[in-house]
Amino acid sequence: MDNQYLLHTPEGVRDIYSVEYARKETVQKRIAQVMKLYGYRNIQTPMFEFFEIFSKERGSVEARKLFKFFDREGNTLVLRPDITPSIARCAAKYYMDEDMPVRFSYCGDTFINDFCYQGRLNENTQMGAELIGDATSDADGEMIAMLIDSLIEAGLKEFQVEIGHVDFFNGLMEEAGLDEQDRKELRILIEEKNYFGVEELLSKRDLPETLKESIIKIPQTFGTVELLKEAKNVTKNKTAQNALNRLEKIYEILSIYGLQSYVTFDLGMLGKFDYYTGIIFKAYTYGMGEAVATGGRYDKLLIQFGKDAASIGFAINLDALMNAMQRQKIKVDTDIMGTILLYEKEQRELAIHLAGILRGQGTYLQLMRRHSDMTLEEYVALAKRSETGGILYIDETGQTVQVINVLDGSKNQVSMDAFMKAKA
Amino acid sequence: MRYITFALAKGRLAKKAMGLLEQIGITCEEMKDENSRKLIFVNEELKLKFFLAKASDVPTYVEYGAADIGVVGKDTILEEGRKLYEVMDLGIGKCRMCVAGPAEAKEYLLHHERIRVASKYPNIAKDYFYNKKHQTVEIIKLNGSVELAPIVGLSEVIVDIVETGTTLKENGLEVLEEICPLSARVVVNQVSMKMENERISRIIQELRKVI
Repeated sequence: MDNQYLLHTPEGVRDIYSVEYARKETVQKRIAQVMKLYGYRNIQTPMFEFFEIFSKERGSVEARKLFKFFDREGNTLVLRPDITPSIARCAAKYYMDEDMPVRFSYCGDTFINDFCYQGRLNENTQMGAELIGDATSDADGEMIAMLIDSLIEAGLKEFQVEIGHVDFFNGLMEEAGLDEQDRKELRILIEEKNYFGVEELLSKRDLPETLKESIIKIPQTFGTVELLKEAKNVTKNKTAQNALNRLEKIYEILSIYGLQSYVTFDLGMLGKFDYYTGIIFKAYTYGMGEAVATGGRYDKLLIQFGKDAASIGFAINLDALMNAMQRQKIKVDTDIMGTILLYEKEQRELAIHLAGILRGQGTYLQLMRRHSDMTLEEYVALAKRSETGGILYIDETGQTVQVINVLDGSKNQVSMDAFMKAKA
Repeated sequence: MRYITFALAKGRLAKKAMGLLEQIGITCEEMKDENSRKLIFVNEELKLKFFLAKASDVPTYVEYGAADIGVVGKDTILEEGRKLYEVMDLGIGKCRMCVAGPAEAKEYLLHHERIRVASKYPNIAKDYFYNKKHQTVEIIKLNGSVELAPIVGLSEVIVDIVETGTTLKENGLEVLEEICPLSARVVVNQVSMKMENERISRIIQELRKVI
């Protein structure tokens, strides 16, 4: 075949179909329902926007990793790499004068143009939520609780949500008075848990020993809630202390939700960009080498669109979550299983009538006229390979219905009258 | 208990790393059999798995969580630029990443001239010349015997690992600039570090004591 190449998708994107799609749809519905129950309202923003929306100050992805193209006027457009900046733009535009909190949830595909990460896709479905205009620790708690509930509802059992706070690091930096370059470097070293790198950098700087020790300890400070108390003894810096108090408060709130067992802390989690201004959190589970969800507080994002409002949000990478669940062999029930109603052409009227009744009762029904070249057995084989549970066969007389259970192979002949009566 | 999987860069580094692990009581008898064709070695008692991989693949295995812990040279980590926790300097396999070439090539490095640079490490070379030296260069990626390039006129200089400098000297080349020191590092998958915090942290702490 000459046009074989037409069958391929570009690198980094793929088709999702049949059972896999059904599983994804099921999980998506479960998570969407949790967000609805928390009172979040869905929002849909465009797939592409002006480049500036996702540029350095607002984006979570480097400019060179964005899919870019031009409109007819020569403006640079970008396929969204994440959805938060779009929602910030929306909130600033439509809720400019709203002083009270607004809650949004979303589900959409995001695109990152990065080929060197082979094995990772360029198109990913993200589900997330944003709570805008609420700076309280209660808002922090609600977001994390909703994330945990979403993951539980999705079907995940073993996972952790790890929380950090950028101000612990910022506080210590404030005290150390290091220059911008050093701060940046330390940030990356700490984020990578490069203990000795931190030690090496600090050994060349003139700082009090105790402060040096506190900074060296940051990348090692992760684990259960007890570490917050220990960290409090490490520094007297106000900003850092406030960050620790905030984290303790959030833990307390999550305990009221009854979800504290899913929570751990990491004071070395800083994020790669200066995007987050308060807490930052990630959800981890087995089977995936990266976080399945990330989130945090970004109080300086909306002001860039002209609305001064604190916000917090998270995004679940739905495809990563599906991968993790598949690798953990977590079953996801789907409603893909349906029925085929097979008829001979003489009984078209009866078949369409019966299909109407069955569909009215909620049966997922494929209506098929038997092709004269195909035997009944071939339809049973088709049902088997296409996740179809049963076949109802009406022969040319229309007197009986043959009920074939594809899963166990059993066959039953029922008179049409009796079948209709049972379904009526 | 789940298995913790180690990915080790094939060769000398793997042997030295296993030597260090042995000092903290982590052994793998299966691995000592040089004739074994096995790909995965298991220590059932401690629930550990080990495998050997090409050095440049170790960060990939660890990033995706196919291995929890990796032992690999800093050169590979820099070149691959993956998302990993780099938790420890093992202090073995020490060497330097350098710009090298014939003595007269020193001149080319002084005036932001456009020159050709051959290397097995295009990313490291590019980062050094573009971001540190602010010199626009043409990078030529080679897969081995990089010293040849300036001799046969493929490039003006090379960027490569230098241990003793003997190979360079024998071919009339010398170190022109040092980019950074290198040694073997322990890298950890970001999720494993959290999900298996206790066991992995213990291994790291014990390793620190013997270094």
